[in-house]
Amino acid sequence: MADTARDLSRTLLLSGNEAIARGAWEAGVRFGSGYPGTPSSEILPALKELGDAYVEWSVNEKVALEAAVGASIAGARALVTMKHVGLNVAADPLFTLSYTGVEGGLVIITADDPSMHSSQNEQDNRSYARAAKVPMLEPSDSQEARDMTVRAFELSERFDVPVLVRPVTRICHSDGLVEVGERREAELRGQLEPNVRKYVMIPAYARQRRVAMAERTREVLAFAEETDLNREEMGHRSLGAITSGAAYQYAREAFPNASFLKLGMVWPLPPERIRRFAEHVDRLHVVEELDPYLTEQILAMGVEVEPIDEGFRIGELTPARVRQMITGESPPETASDDDLPPRPPTLCAGCPHRGVFTVLRKLKAYVTGDIGCYTLGTLPPLQALHTCLCMGAGVSEAHGIQKIRGHEASVVAVIGDSTFVHSGIAGLVNIAYNAGVSTVVILDNRTTAMTGGQVHPGVGETLSGMPGRALDFEALTRAIGVEDVRTVDPYDMAATEQALREAMASPEPSVVIARRECVLMVREHAPAPELDEETCTRCGRCIRIGCPALSALDDGGERPVPCIDPALCTGCTMCVQVCPVDALKIPGADEGGGDA
Amino acid sequence: MVTNVLLTGVGGQGIITAGSVLSQACRLAGWRVKKSEVHGMSQRGGSVNSYVRFTPDGDVASPLIPEGAAHIMLAFEPLEGLRQIRETAPDATVLVEERRIVPVTVSLGGVGYPDDVLERLQDSGRAVTVVPATATALELGEARAANTVLLGGLSTLLELPWPAWERALRGTLKPRAVEVNLRAFEAGRELMGAG
Repeated sequence: MADTARDLSRTLLLSGNEAIARGAWEAGVRFGSGYPGTPSSEILPALKELGDAYVEWSVNEKVALEAAVGASIAGARALVTMKHVGLNVAADPLFTLSYTGVEGGLVIITADDPSMHSSQNEQDNRSYARAAKVPMLEPSDSQEARDMTVRAFELSERFDVPVLVRPVTRICHSDGLVEVGERREAELRGQLEPNVRKYVMIPAYARQRRVAMAERTREVLAFAEETDLNREEMGHRSLGAITSGAAYQYAREAFPNASFLKLGMVWPLPPERIRRFAEHVDRLHVVEELDPYLTEQILAMGVEVEPIDEGFRIGELTPARVRQMITGESPPETASDDDLPPRPPTLCAGCPHRGVFTVLRKLKAYVTGDIGCYTLGTLPPLQALHTCLCMGAGVSEAHGIQKIRGHEASVVAVIGDSTFVHSGIAGLVNIAYNAGVSTVVILDNRTTAMTGGQVHPGVGETLSGMPGRALDFEALTRAIGVEDVRTVDPYDMAATEQALREAMASPEPSVVIARRECVLMVREHAPAPELDEETCTRCGRCIRIGCPALSALDDGGERPVPCIDPALCTGCTMCVQVCPVDALKIPGADEGGGDA
Repeated sequence: MVTNVLLTGVGGQGIITAGSVLSQACRLAGWRVKKSEVHGMSQRGGSVNSYVRFTPDGDVASPLIPEGAAHIMLAFEPLEGLRQIRETAPDATVLVEERRIVPVTVSLGGVGYPDDVLERLQDSGRAVTVVPATATALELGEARAANTVLLGGLSTLLELPWPAWERALRGTLKPRAVEVNLRAFEAGRELMGAG
């Protein structure tokens, strides 16, 4: 029977990210900041939709956290959102923020990405909570994402500490039913009176706060022993599992009759409850995704847990993997028994990055890359990206390579516009200051594309809708001391090639700004080119720009013939420009048209 | 009992939207439901899956469908359907769009697009129905409504009442897309022999 009594208007279907925004809104949050990063990107836009709070995309995660600290000192409840690697950027303020504590409640969302669905690593950010001595909550579905966000604000103010909430991809991007409540306004706390012993961390004061932190940790530990954020679900005593977050749901799916100690708070852990639970079950497993974070602490409490194959510590769990883990099997090898052609993500048809990468491949440059859609230029056929480490790294790496291998090495850094503002500017200052001669290409597509098209300082628009001041990349570059600045349209491949050749040959540091709006932002498209099959020599050059609108059709000839899907084609003309025999024609253009 | 529906296809085909319509319809029927998918990289023309799990009573635990336990698969592209066939139960029902989307890897001369994808799906023992979803949607004047044609087909396999579907479609889709999608939904039902 359906639960017809359920009030549909109060039971919403929300993603974990929407539920976090809802919880923050209901908790009276007044300030939200963050930097886009999968899987966290939808939280702040959802908070903006709910209204009442000031929201912003900050320049990067460190700035976002520091701005939120300011809002907290001013007495407001503040929310900060980022992906797991974003917390690396924000780690510097985090560790000392744990000393100062807060005024208004401060909640930091660190969205982890086991299996690296859209990330460069799968670090386990639970270790940050332990290292920074900051409480961490871990929701296991959308309802808990809402509830725990509300609770996190309460804990933050009660214990004078920032609180981390760690959803993973399967929580952020899963929808579930959420019983929602109304917003309860939170009054501003304090009067913004200076309190230097709390907020100025010179060594003399920091040493005092260090002692206060230890006292606070004892109090939070006592809370962890009592709170219903952690709960015992006693089933059969033959099998017990200590678990949290998404892993709890997989474990419940795989072993519905087992006993669970479900930890909603994963730092600090409650040793008494863990020991008590262990005594009540015959066999104790720890079911956790990624690092042996719980396992090591539980073993250190002197509690015996069943060993597992270390292979289960790589990648996200599933119900089947949890079953194999507990029954003592080894993780199966990744299935590769089929002959099916893979379908990896690719640069979109009409992506402006394709023009730059096609030219860089032709120039045989060693390309230090960065984090964004353009990382997709790594794979065949473009194969035009040779490093990808972290946000901003490409610019600094190019400088280091150039210092060792000299100007002859043909090193070019590529970085997106949003990433350049996030953490590429410092690297460019470093090049200019240290007499480097590297070439940096800013792939300026006027958006933060990979994460869904968020605005950033280069665009000038803001998340809150208020007009912002647009950062002028050309003027900034000159102010940094890089005089050799060129701006090109990457759809014009000849001009792009000329600019890159000149910049790479230049004895000074240089910047090439390849500016063209992300094709996903463009609604009106030019018509698809038409192929003159008589002229086409089937050389394959157009195919090798890797456009998803262009496929090679085997028509029984010696070599396949290019075939354009007009539904996917955006009329960018890059295939027309690489054709050596003008076999691709733009409809309506003059003879030989499109040859830039 | 929990019903597991796997939607699979290529980024950009409206799979995530279709998953949203289905899960909203479940909510509006008063059922328990969870849906899971991955955003980001996979939306750039790569393989995309959406998992929807629901039950009129009881509870849904894992947001992921347990391996080999999908009762119904909506395959928006044949190759992607074949890629996910092991995620379905041996007695699963499969609705598969007939139109192929050739991966870039095939065009670059790697592995070819297998000729026998539909045969291999049919030989899998699942109850497979080939649905001309895009062709049907094109007849209605909107190729992008192909996902709703498949949802209409799916609706003939579920006990979800029509008002829940209608409210879910109206609440999830852009207002100007609603009418053509309602027609696409009905066309999908007709393709399955229901009107």
